[in-house]
Amino acid sequence: MTEIDKQIQDLKERLQYIQDIFGNRENANVSLLGSKLNDFVQALPSLGPSQIKRQLGSLSDLFTFLENKLEKELTPMDRVRIVRHPQRICLKDILENVYDNYTEIGGQGEYSIDPSMIIARAYITRNVGKKIYKQPVMVIGQEKGHGQEFRNGGSVKPWGNAKALEYMKVAVTENIPIHTYIFTPGSYPVEDYPGAAQQIARNIYAMAGINVPVVAVISEGGSGGAEAIGLADTRIMLSHGYYSVISPEGAAAIEGRAKSGGRISPELVESCARQLRITAQDNLKMGYIDRILQEPALGARPEHFDFFKKLRQEVILATDEIILSVRGIKLFRAIALRKLNNPNIYVRWGLSQKSGERLLWRRYQKYRSLSQWAYRDSTPAWQKYKRAVSETSWSVYSFLRYEFFGRHQRAITHLAEDVQGEVHALFGRAMHKASRLLRKLPGVKNEKEEVCQLTTLSTWEEGMSWDEHCRYISPQANQDRTLPCPNTVKFNCLDLWAPDLFGDFAGVCSHCGHHFPMEYEWYLFNVFDPRSISEFSPRLESLNPLDFEGLEHKLDQAKKQTGHKSGCMTFEADIKGIRVVVAMLLARFRGGSVGAAEGEKFSRAVEQARRKHMPFLAYVHGTAGIRIQEGTNGLIQMPRCTLSVRRYLEAGGLYLVLYDTNSYAGPVASFLGCSPYQFAIRSANIGFAGPGVIRETTGLDIPPDYHNAFMALSRGHIQGIWDRREIRNNLHHALRTMGGEFLYYR
Amino acid sequence: MKKHKILIANRGEIAIRILNACRKLGHEFVCVYTKEDAQSEHCTEALKQGGPNTLYRISSYQDPNEIFAVADDSEATAIHPGYGFFAEDFRFARRVVQRTRKLKFIGPSWKIIQDLGDKINTKRVARRLNVPTIPGSDRPIVDDLEAEELARSLFNFQNEQGVEQPVILVKASAGGGGMGIEEVHDLDRFRTVLRGIKNYARRQFRDEGVLIEQRIFDFNHLEVQILADSHGKVVHFGTRNCTVQSIGRQKRIEVAPGFYPQSISYAFDADKVLNDIIDYSLRMAREVGYNSIGTWEWIVSPMGNPFLMEVNTRIQVENGVSAIISRIGGQEVDLIQEQIRLGLDERMHFEQKDIRFEGLGIEYRILAEDPENAFTPWVGRIENFSWPDFPWLRMHTHIPRERAYDIPTEFDPNLALGIVWGQDLEQARDRGIRFLNQLVLEGRNYMGEPLKSNIQFLKENTRKLLVF
Repeated sequence: MTEIDKQIQDLKERLQYIQDIFGNRENANVSLLGSKLNDFVQALPSLGPSQIKRQLGSLSDLFTFLENKLEKELTPMDRVRIVRHPQRICLKDILENVYDNYTEIGGQGEYSIDPSMIIARAYITRNVGKKIYKQPVMVIGQEKGHGQEFRNGGSVKPWGNAKALEYMKVAVTENIPIHTYIFTPGSYPVEDYPGAAQQIARNIYAMAGINVPVVAVISEGGSGGAEAIGLADTRIMLSHGYYSVISPEGAAAIEGRAKSGGRISPELVESCARQLRITAQDNLKMGYIDRILQEPALGARPEHFDFFKKLRQEVILATDEIILSVRGIKLFRAIALRKLNNPNIYVRWGLSQKSGERLLWRRYQKYRSLSQWAYRDSTPAWQKYKRAVSETSWSVYSFLRYEFFGRHQRAITHLAEDVQGEVHALFGRAMHKASRLLRKLPGVKNEKEEVCQLTTLSTWEEGMSWDEHCRYISPQANQDRTLPCPNTVKFNCLDLWAPDLFGDFAGVCSHCGHHFPMEYEWYLFNVFDPRSISEFSPRLESLNPLDFEGLEHKLDQAKKQTGHKSGCMTFEADIKGIRVVVAMLLARFRGGSVGAAEGEKFSRAVEQARRKHMPFLAYVHGTAGIRIQEGTNGLIQMPRCTLSVRRYLEAGGLYLVLYDTNSYAGPVASFLGCSPYQFAIRSANIGFAGPGVIRETTGLDIPPDYHNAFMALSRGHIQGIWDRREIRNNLHHALRTMGGEFLYYR
Repeated sequence: MKKHKILIANRGEIAIRILNACRKLGHEFVCVYTKEDAQSEHCTEALKQGGPNTLYRISSYQDPNEIFAVADDSEATAIHPGYGFFAEDFRFARRVVQRTRKLKFIGPSWKIIQDLGDKINTKRVARRLNVPTIPGSDRPIVDDLEAEELARSLFNFQNEQGVEQPVILVKASAGGGGMGIEEVHDLDRFRTVLRGIKNYARRQFRDEGVLIEQRIFDFNHLEVQILADSHGKVVHFGTRNCTVQSIGRQKRIEVAPGFYPQSISYAFDADKVLNDIIDYSLRMAREVGYNSIGTWEWIVSPMGNPFLMEVNTRIQVENGVSAIISRIGGQEVDLIQEQIRLGLDERMHFEQKDIRFEGLGIEYRILAEDPENAFTPWVGRIENFSWPDFPWLRMHTHIPRERAYDIPTEFDPNLALGIVWGQDLEQARDRGIRFLNQLVLEGRNYMGEPLKSNIQFLKENTRKLLVF
């Protein structure tokens, strides 16, 4: 092939790329390029060599000029097409060009536990003065592989994420930084062990406690798949990437179904992409990424070597910054300042124990402060003040009670127990004999009491108080109608009369145990002690931070319908005398979806439990996932709440999760799924994505019971299944057995 | 008097007795039957006395939804549950009076059915009123140590009472009908048994509470027939003795009154025991505000100590044996009619002093079964069934006399009740034997073998009646 042919081929590819990016849209500039190139190719035989060279030159200039012009016309959906284009840079390109050497761990092409997830041990060489330093890094990221089919488009299976987690832990052991590269449209939604949702939850939970610097680079940040490796100290986003709670097509499918029930139009997808605010600029404005790395016009491709150089500098700088910000000695801060202007100062990438702790605290604070503007707290100022005072006094009290006094008390108790034991061993025999003698003397009296107990009324407190429970009558029980049990064919269940079913049976078929849906109010009255519930931050309100079309109205409706201002109700209550903090996700409020307000309430509840040294219960009456209309404001709640949970658990808290009905997606894949004690009511369906989404993304048709609680239990996703009628007893039992002597706090 | 249409949610002889009572009171009635029961006389009677619109076929006697569908279609205004099926189902009773188209429930109010249906509650009500109950716990015991302590004192108690081989029972408090009960003969085995029952109860009833009670041997089974209206009046119709039972604890002969000290000598003051249990029963009925017909069941130990066993909040099979010895204004009583009257909110029009007792009644339950072979039910076709007419005999049956009848296997195996009256025990026994001798019950099963009945068993037991 001659040089000229090669250049023409090159231009043709550039044109093809541009056409791919702009999709079906009519664009004058694109057609101009097309016709110019076509004219040139047609005229080629009649042209002399110098003419060809000149024309090629000007054609190439025209391409560059128009590419720059087209760059400004890019819509959010165009960016989605850019990151998904086979010519888009991929992780292998980055390993080749950004790092000085690397070894891929556990993968050779398609021979890998999951070829869409690549792990590599790499290093970066730095010449400082006369010395050469090799700085090791753990590189983790999804691989799209320029359209290689077995890479699955970067859609990682649960075991791929598990592999990532394994090597994050290796990085911790080796005390080296982690660089993650996010190239995923979303996780592959299969439930096979370790399970899409549960594994992501495990990853996020682990990343919340990884005490080495983590830098994330986002190209295609699709939902949970992105979060699985995305909880980083610094998040750099490529200028042409997107970072979103759901793919625009997915959002359109959900929106479209609600509207027409028909096919999804490209216009709707386009509008969703726009409304979700998925671009780098948007995310920077909202605060979910730290900085943007500018790409060449129309996105970086493997031949843009300058870009790789910039990327290399960027990740080195980010890692240095993180390290310096947590180094203990003040002196280094000065250096850090200088360092920003002078990339040739060497920073060691290992961290001391203390610095690691500071890093975690900084990471917690970073995420805790996010999305604060995306909800409204209409609590009056004096109440906020009151809350602050009470929080402080609780902190002080807890410190004195558990840290200071508690520790000494424990020592004293242990000592007393030992002494008692000794005394008993010493005098036990003598005492025994004496008491036998004693019993013989007033023996008659003793026996009388026993007979009394056998034939006359005994006192019985416990059962009575349960009967006197202030009763809650479900509105479903006030209808004179019968409901057929869905298991009639299998078990011959008779139709159930609504007042029996919802008034007495707790919505459970008395014959086969099928659970009918029950509204959350029922649980408030039947799980917790009467009059023990005190709600907090009820005025924290869900908003429409992205001005997503129609959400305003839907939220108003939900607020009116439920009387709650968000889909999360947080309160303190007693279960047979044990005080717990509860966060309840309400299925009736927008499907129990989690947005900024719900996340904030959840985090506050966890903090309250931590402050007051109480067990924490997440009661999931139902959750459809992250509220997609809030975009990344919702998505960020995944790492955000998980960080709170981790802090609570590490302080010694007991965190129980109870799923009731449909519990899917983001919350399960993060702050719920990370609990070591997750239980489900029989009626629960637990999973990552619903059947519709699974069919759309994987082409698999799943059986109808794919997500039910029993399947989840056999896959190891949850720890037990409870009958709804037994929740109160089981919770109490769980609190007692998992709590222990010094309840909930080690 | 307002005329009612009463849906009889039952089958067999009780359906016939109820529909006759309805006719006598001037009410309309509706009957139901299932396909297995198409040949039952209760269907024939319904058609004969009420016409074609009074009989509905349903697929099960146990499905409340079907019963209510029939009630609505036939525009019934009240439901009589008979015995068995829905008779003691408080949910059914509640639904009757709480549904949109409300009906009268011929029986106690649902709350009473619920309260007295709960054995623990009944025992506690009794103890509150100083009514003797079986020694043991009166609440579910959850704590192992407490249970063991209770078991120990129960053994001691029995030793003191002179019980030679004390036995205690450990029952799942949420159980019933013989499920989750075990005997313990000595304290060393107690813990093992307790564990077993608790595990069983947790699995089966999701409630690991247990009851611990003395097991009483060689007792007599007595009953007190109570009638009460919703205006606070409570009367009794004497006592019955139901000690003759099959090995499955199914009653076979009932006698009223419960003891006969006139000609039989007892180791205790039998009159006093009968009066005591009547008093206790009345006391409890008043306390709970009982408002229908009901039976207080007692066991009487060989020493003459009565213990309350349970309360049946329904008409019983053996109500006729109390009725046959009771007179109001010289007339024989029909307890089913009284039950219907009170169930439709009428006042009771007589006092306790108006009720006189005359003579002695024996009720025989006639079944096709083999008493020699563990009372195994006999299945086949009845070809010949007849009995002589006597003025002192009341016969209740749903078996047709003029045609052959295949015994359905789906239901209670009772075929007929023969109630005999006599001036005294002697005469009643003689008449009983005479009745049984002349009763003809013949048939063959599909293998050609002749019908087996319990007539011989009934005859043998007639001689020993009321002897403790």
